[in-house]
Amino acid sequence: MTETPRIALKGVTKRFGAETAVDAISLNIAAGEFCVLVGTSGCGKSTTLRMINRLIEHSDGEIHIDGQPIREIDPQRLRRRIGYAIQSTGLFPHWTVARNIALVPGLLKWPRARTLERVEELMTLLGLAPSEFADKYPAQLSGGQAQRVGVARALAADPEILLMDEPFGALDPITRESLQEELRRLQGRIRKTIVFVTHDMDEALKLADRLVVMRAGRIVQQGSPAELLAAPADEFVASLLGGRDRGLKRAALTPVARLMRPVDARLPMEPAVAPDEDLRLALSVMLWHRVETLAVVDGEGRACGSLHLSDLMGGGI
Amino acid sequence: MVQSPSARPNRVLLVLGLALVAALLGLDLASVAPNRILPGEGVSLWVWLGPGSALVWAFPLLLMALAWRGTPRALHLSRGLVVVALASLPWVLAAFAASRVPDALPQARVTLGAGFWSLLFVLLMIWVELQARLKGATWLLLLPLLSLALALVGGHLESLALMREYASRSGAFHEAVRYHLLLVSAAVGLSLLLAFTLALAMRRFPSLRRGGFALLSLIQTIPSLALFGLLLAPLAWLAARYAWLGELGVQGIGWAPALIALVGYSLLPMTRNSVVALDGVDPRVVEAARGMGMSPGQVFWRVRLPLAAPVILEGIRITTVQAVGLAAVAALIGAGGLGTFIFQGLGQAAMDLVLLGALPILALAVAADGLLSALARLTASQSSREAR
Amino acid sequence: MSAVAIWHRYGRGLAPLLWGAGLVGLLAWLPRAEGFFRWLAPGARVVIYPRDDFTALLLNHLALVGVASGLAILLGVGAALVVTRPWGRDFLPLASQLAAMGQTFPPVAVLALAVPSLGFGALPTVVALVLYGLLPILRNGLAGIEGIDPAVREAARGMGMSPGQVLWRLELPLAAPVMLAGIRTSVTVGIATAAIGSTIGAKTLGDPIIAGIVNGNSAYILQGALLIGVLALTLDSLFEALTPRRR
Repeated sequence: MTETPRIALKGVTKRFGAETAVDAISLNIAAGEFCVLVGTSGCGKSTTLRMINRLIEHSDGEIHIDGQPIREIDPQRLRRRIGYAIQSTGLFPHWTVARNIALVPGLLKWPRARTLERVEELMTLLGLAPSEFADKYPAQLSGGQAQRVGVARALAADPEILLMDEPFGALDPITRESLQEELRRLQGRIRKTIVFVTHDMDEALKLADRLVVMRAGRIVQQGSPAELLAAPADEFVASLLGGRDRGLKRAALTPVARLMRPVDARLPMEPAVAPDEDLRLALSVMLWHRVETLAVVDGEGRACGSLHLSDLMGGGI
Repeated sequence: MVQSPSARPNRVLLVLGLALVAALLGLDLASVAPNRILPGEGVSLWVWLGPGSALVWAFPLLLMALAWRGTPRALHLSRGLVVVALASLPWVLAAFAASRVPDALPQARVTLGAGFWSLLFVLLMIWVELQARLKGATWLLLLPLLSLALALVGGHLESLALMREYASRSGAFHEAVRYHLLLVSAAVGLSLLLAFTLALAMRRFPSLRRGGFALLSLIQTIPSLALFGLLLAPLAWLAARYAWLGELGVQGIGWAPALIALVGYSLLPMTRNSVVALDGVDPRVVEAARGMGMSPGQVFWRVRLPLAAPVILEGIRITTVQAVGLAAVAALIGAGGLGTFIFQGLGQAAMDLVLLGALPILALAVAADGLLSALARLTASQSSREAR
Repeated sequence: MSAVAIWHRYGRGLAPLLWGAGLVGLLAWLPRAEGFFRWLAPGARVVIYPRDDFTALLLNHLALVGVASGLAILLGVGAALVVTRPWGRDFLPLASQLAAMGQTFPPVAVLALAVPSLGFGALPTVVALVLYGLLPILRNGLAGIEGIDPAVREAARGMGMSPGQVLWRLELPLAAPVMLAGIRTSVTVGIATAAIGSTIGAKTLGDPIIAGIVNGNSAYILQGALLIGVLALTLDSLFEALTPRRR
């Protein structure tokens, strides 16, 4: 397939003085893909992200969006086309939530009615009741709420591309997890091209269609989470992926449905798992109940298959 | 990710270098007058040295060349140059006086011109700019001061109008400096005592805070001249009513209203800093001290006070600098001090007499600021080291 | 509503009106208060300051401070903006050092030093007021602009705001309260220093005080002092009312 990638990096390099932060990386991101750049701090992942909307200019190589070199696009117009969300939200403290979200539509001079409608739509989409939150100021929000507003603001002008720089990095684990869930659900509906930077491998595995592991300004390995878990390129990637904990991480990425056998009438309905739950959970249920087979039961409570430990061991994951 | 310090021209120094050139070129360095009454005749560098002034021109040009290079090495070199230039200023004046003041006229005097002041100002700006980039080595500034002291002691600057004014009233000058310092220290000491008591009271009774600070900032808002004026009548009345007050020297004019006003103005910054300082002590540290079995007195003297000291010292600094200036205004109501020369000089249109009052006041303010902020830094680093 | 509650709700807006009314009242009362001042200064031949009308002095005082503050605001805010732009950033360390160190200089000394170069009168007073008054404005301007959370700036740029939009919608509104505090300090010092400007020949409300000190007439002194004091409090309460409440 020779479809133009939405974002293409070709031999992109960034030097700060004598120091090379990003070293000749090439990367294609397809439309609708959720691409996560992951690596330890200082590996150049944030710099790479910020080169895409020209917050940092690349020193060498080319970056194309829909086939057009971004150097040809006025940086401000480029940025208004691209959503941008950062860890510390950067919400304007003197503006209300609604006005913050309406920032980019305002810059693009949308008609007022359309902007208002869009703000309301986004607030609802992100679980912020407009009647309650529209007139609040950022200082009155919790960390999770502020980050939702940050994401809503990034999505406001309905950009094709969304850049997210460790957006959930400063949140407590529970809030972070629920926002990750929501982002995944949201992405299922809106299908944006998302470039997401994080140093948290669990977050990366959970969200990514494609994982790009970076180290010292270079791409070490890229591929789907399952591909990386199956064959990490080197020790570094393996340790980033959790070393010996990897087996469970892989299991967590595979749905029960993948290894399901037909319904086995002899199995009791308890214990059971759902077909869209993951194998890590299934393994945990087996361990807990000391059984080697589980019934698979769908949302309506009907048996739809069975799961055998031997299949898990057989390399199906 | 910080841009690594690659060498590029220092634009600030280039601009300041141009300002130096302009000052040397366009303004009179100094003027020479035959006596106190007659106006002086301005002399520019060019008029004084003729083609020889090329030597002086080399200085700003060299400085700008170094600024163009902009490497750390070049900046260090320019700092050395500036220190040398500042240190040579007194001797330039001495040379000027020796060549332009005729020996036949013992009353003849050199008045510093706009060119000299601009030169001094721009050189100091260059110093400040270089210090902001290079840090450290503040002691280098002592060299020009030392050079000035040497020139003064050696009698090389006697024909400066400023020094002539000083020579004719050196006794009164020393008395004024002493008195100025006395007034300022008395005001700062008293206000420290009062403000600290007030701060403790505000911590004990939080309801005092709002009203207390409102009152103190009300006092602070009233212009100095007005406050001095408002104190005159009541004090005069009190002194007339109670003889013992009069015997103490309390009267409508003089030190009494000055001291009261200075203390009044000092209370706001001093109290505010004391309160902030005491509030700012980490409660966990106090908790830990209590947990170790320290008595309330020990907690206060050994934990709270040392930790609060830097911020309180900052309050003393603000207050002292402010009091040095306000004490000058107090000369108007007969409180004496260096302000006397300013207002006498203004009255007689004798500008060098004005300078004799204003320059020491500036020097006092700057010295107090420097010393007290150094002390605050010292205690701050000490208390943080102890805490570690 | 109790009196206290009324004061809390409307007090900030009411205070400048009350002080202002006091000022107008003083202007009306002082020329007629011969009886009171005769009692106060029984020895003096004339007890109401005769050389100028109080209203004229007040207006002149206000004009001096107004012109000087206007210029100081223009220069101070302008300089703060220039040295925080990318092309002017080289000058930021020098500017902030100067603003901090300049405030060590006593205003009286600045006033006195303006005379040798500019002579006597209103001009040196205005120049000294401007020079001295722009320091707190510059200092607070820098503090206000540099105090903005870098993440907010980053987000603004990342959303595609132009430098002008960042300035008008972000930097100025966020720095405004801090700048206003600097202007308030500047004006307060300006009123006090303008009064001392009487000694270098500017016509201000300091005149009656200086004349009173010279002639030993405490009635003149009190008249000038009352007017200056109330004027300062009026303007200060006006600034207090203008200062936005923290959210």
